[in-house]
Order: sequence, then structure tokens, then C-alpha cells
Amino acid sequence: MRLFLKILRLSFRRQLTYRTATLAGLVTNLFFGVLRASVLIALFNAQPSVNGLTVKGAVTFAGLTQGVIAYLSIFGWWDIMQSIEKGSIGADLLKPMNFFTYWLAQDIGRAAAQFVTRGLVLMIAFGFLFQITLPASPAQWLAFAFALILSGLVSFAWRFIINLAAFWSPNAIGFGRFAFSLTWIFSGFAMPLRLFPDWFQQFCAFTPFPAMINTVIEIFLGTLTPPETLQALLLQAAWFVGLSILSQFILKAGIRRLVIQGG
Amino acid sequence: MLRRLFTTYLKFIQIQILSQIQYPFSFLFDVFTNGISLLIFFLSLSLVLQRFDNVGGWRLGEIAFLWGTAEIAFGLMDMIFSGFDPDSFSVMVRQGTLDQMLLRPANITIQIFGSRFILRRLGRIAEGLIIFTISQVLSPIVWTLPRLLFYPVVIFSQILFFGGLFIAGSTITFWTIERIEAVNILTYGGNEMISYPMHIYPDWLIKFFTYLIPLIFINYYPALFFLGKPDPFGMPAFAPFLAPLAGLGVFLASLWFWKFGLRYYQGTGS
Repeated sequence: MRLFLKILRLSFRRQLTYRTATLAGLVTNLFFGVLRASVLIALFNAQPSVNGLTVKGAVTFAGLTQGVIAYLSIFGWWDIMQSIEKGSIGADLLKPMNFFTYWLAQDIGRAAAQFVTRGLVLMIAFGFLFQITLPASPAQWLAFAFALILSGLVSFAWRFIINLAAFWSPNAIGFGRFAFSLTWIFSGFAMPLRLFPDWFQQFCAFTPFPAMINTVIEIFLGTLTPPETLQALLLQAAWFVGLSILSQFILKAGIRRLVIQGG
Repeated sequence: MLRRLFTTYLKFIQIQILSQIQYPFSFLFDVFTNGISLLIFFLSLSLVLQRFDNVGGWRLGEIAFLWGTAEIAFGLMDMIFSGFDPDSFSVMVRQGTLDQMLLRPANITIQIFGSRFILRRLGRIAEGLIIFTISQVLSPIVWTLPRLLFYPVVIFSQILFFGGLFIAGSTITFWTIERIEAVNILTYGGNEMISYPMHIYPDWLIKFFTYLIPLIFINYYPALFFLGKPDPFGMPAFAPFLAPLAGLGVFLASLWFWKFGLRYYQGTGS
């Protein structure tokens, strides 16, 4: 556990050193947030609420989803893939720590730093530009915090699995890009899931993707009743456990195929 | 002189293309995933529109016209101007690859153009064509001769416009070494912006992208002409035909900036 925290802290600090990149990323995320909020406002066209989502809620959605881009590495994360291609995975596998836990520690550190610099700051800036909804009670804030942490864990497990594809193909990045793009639509990142047709939402409910983004949004906006909130949180936890177990089987199969060239 | 430059360029491109289709299956898979991952955003909008009917008064077919046109042009640009993509160009500056190129007895601009030609972008072009086709099914355009002649001009203008921004963004890295991510707001952000009818954006944003960076003239105004829609801003009647002027203007200004940057450039010592 001490080792876990040490890796986490180092990864957190490493992330904080890229200051100009952080600022530039922040400005870009904010700009796209303004565009996406404008599209949603135009869609609602003065209707107060559509399928339980208000205009204000939809605008808040635009800010929230832009705010979690860096936290969840939504557009791509290839660290493990690169370590397999370069062969540095050999050293990582020899470390006196479980491979999954080692990367989990790194990712929590990275995500925590991104949450502060790219998430929190973005939401504050976004709040100056638009009227947004905030959780109404301490209990809702607490549920949101849990949902956010769990979403990071589910997302990590999914990204971990995607990266393992490099064991099987030297050109796994193409497959990886495809796998990442599934997240954009099925998690409720591109558009709020509530606004999709019912059959589409029912389909998404069978996938782990809503647990990565949609649950966080719904809890933040207060569109779930307390029992529904609890159920959604438990489902997130279940997806994390499920995907983690699955990843271990894939990892085992992958390591059996691994060949590291000298040099 | 010009013909020799062009044959050099074609030689470079030929090598690039051959190396990229060396593994045909993997290449085709890349093209496919590239297209699908972009199509997802249009798909999301069209599914959501079942609850809403329109965006700022524009129906799905009309938005598909904006979106498809923007994607076809941006995909072509991203392929032709791959070498000037600031993301990869800044790496060439940092690693000193650019210095090697400057020593070669060939035109440097042509060399950069020929240094990268990402054929995978065919996925984006195909995605644009699919969306364009959808637009013609849902809201068919009456293709009169002037419209038919003007359409390729619009595509060409957009290629020049964003290609120019790529060149300018790369030139900045002569000074900054690091790529400037804010340039992405103008390129990728600009592409996103013109995929929707631009009157839905806040006033200050529209003004900025009309008078400072003439983004509004390369897709939105031409679309008003093709779709026969009234102009909500009350610009002069020739506004839809300013696209080539905007494209050429940005491109030539960037080319001048690039030449200026090259004269200043001293290498990074890598």
C-alpha cells in the first residue's frame, strides 16, 4: 500500500510539471464547451425540459463532459501499449508489484492531477460563462464524489484492456482508436444519453460505458432518485470489478505471447 | 521550374503512399476505424434530433450538408497538408529533422509537403461523403449550373483556409519549439464550428469568426446559397461568394509568414 501511494504521488507530481500544456488544453476544452453548449441551447429552442433534462442541465452537461476529458483520458491513452512495443514492460513485470495495481496507482495519480487542473478549473470558468446547475445537498455532493471516483476506475479498467491489444498486434493502435470511439457515443459523452431514443438507452444500459460518464452527469444534475443513485453507484462498482477480473485473464494470455527483443 | 518541383513532390508522395499500403489489411482497417470514430458524432446528433426536429431552424438534412462539406474538405486538407500538421512539425523542429531537410538541395516547402501524406485520412473523406449523401437524400439540393460550378470552389477554399492555418501553426513553432495547442482551436475547433449553422453561437464568437478570422464565409455563407436560405445577419448579397477570397487570403498570408519564419529560423541545436 505504501508503494502504491508513492507511485500515485510521483505520477501526480509528474503531471503537474506540464504547465503550458495544461493551460492550452484547458483553453481548448473550454472553447469546445462553449460550442457544445450553444448546440444544446439551439436544440432545446426554448423548451424548458426534454425527457427530464432542462436546458440549464444540458448546458451543465457540456461543461461536465469537457471537464472530465483529461480526467478520464477520453481521447486516448496508450502508455501500456507503448511499454509493450518498446519492451519496457519487461522491467514493469519484474517489479515487486502486481502489473494491474502498478498501472492503477499511476493512473490515479495522473487522473487526480488532471481533475484539479483541467476539471475543477474548467468547471469554475464554465460557471462564469453560463448558468449551471449544482448539486443541491451535501448527500448529492457525496454521491457525485463517489460516482466520479468510480467512473475513473471503470474507465481505467477499460483503457487497461484496450492497451493489452498490443500483445496480439504490432498495429494495435488502430483497434485502440476504435475502442476509444465507442466510449464517445455509448457513455453519453457526445450527447446526454437521456436525449437519445429509448431503444438506444436500453442498449447502452447493457454496456459498461454509461458507468464511465452518464452516471456522473445524472447524479450531478440530480435527475436520479436516492434509490436510483445507490443502484447506479453499485452498478459502477460492479463494472469495475467485472472489467478488472476480465483484464487479468487477457493479461495472462497476453504475457504468454510476449516476446521482448534485446537491444 | 514549377514542373520540376511538381515531379519531385509526386515522387515524395509516391514513396509515402507505397509504404503506407505495405500492409493492406492493416491499412484498410485504419481507414475504416478513422471514418467510424468520426461518424459517431454525426450519428449522435441524428439520433438526438429525433426528439427535437431541428437545430436553430435547420433540419438534419441541411446540417448534414454543412457537416459533410466541412468533413470532405478537412479530410483532404489533413491528407495533403500532413507535413505541416503542427503536432508533427514541432517534433521535426525539436529533433533537428528540419535542419537535415534544409541542407538538401531541394525546395524546403515541397520537402515538407512530401514528408508526410497520411492516406488514413481517406476515412475522414469517406465519412464526409457519407454525410453529404445523407444530406442529399433528406434535403436534396437543386443543382443548377452555378451551384454545380461553385461547390468544388468551396471545397478548395476550405482546403486552402485550413491548410494555411496548419502552415501558420507550424511556423509559430520556429519560435516556441513546442506546438501551440491553441492553434487547434482554430483548426479542429473551426472544423467543428462550421459543421453547425453558425447563427447558434454567442454573438461575440460570431463576430470574432466573421471579422478577425473569416471562418463564417467558407461554409456557412456558401451553404445559404446552396440551400436557398435567407441570411440572418443581413450581409451584402455577395457574401456567399467570399469563400475563395477568405481561403486564398489565409493561405497566402500564411505562406508569407512561413517564408519569413524560415529566414529567422536558426535551428534548435539538436
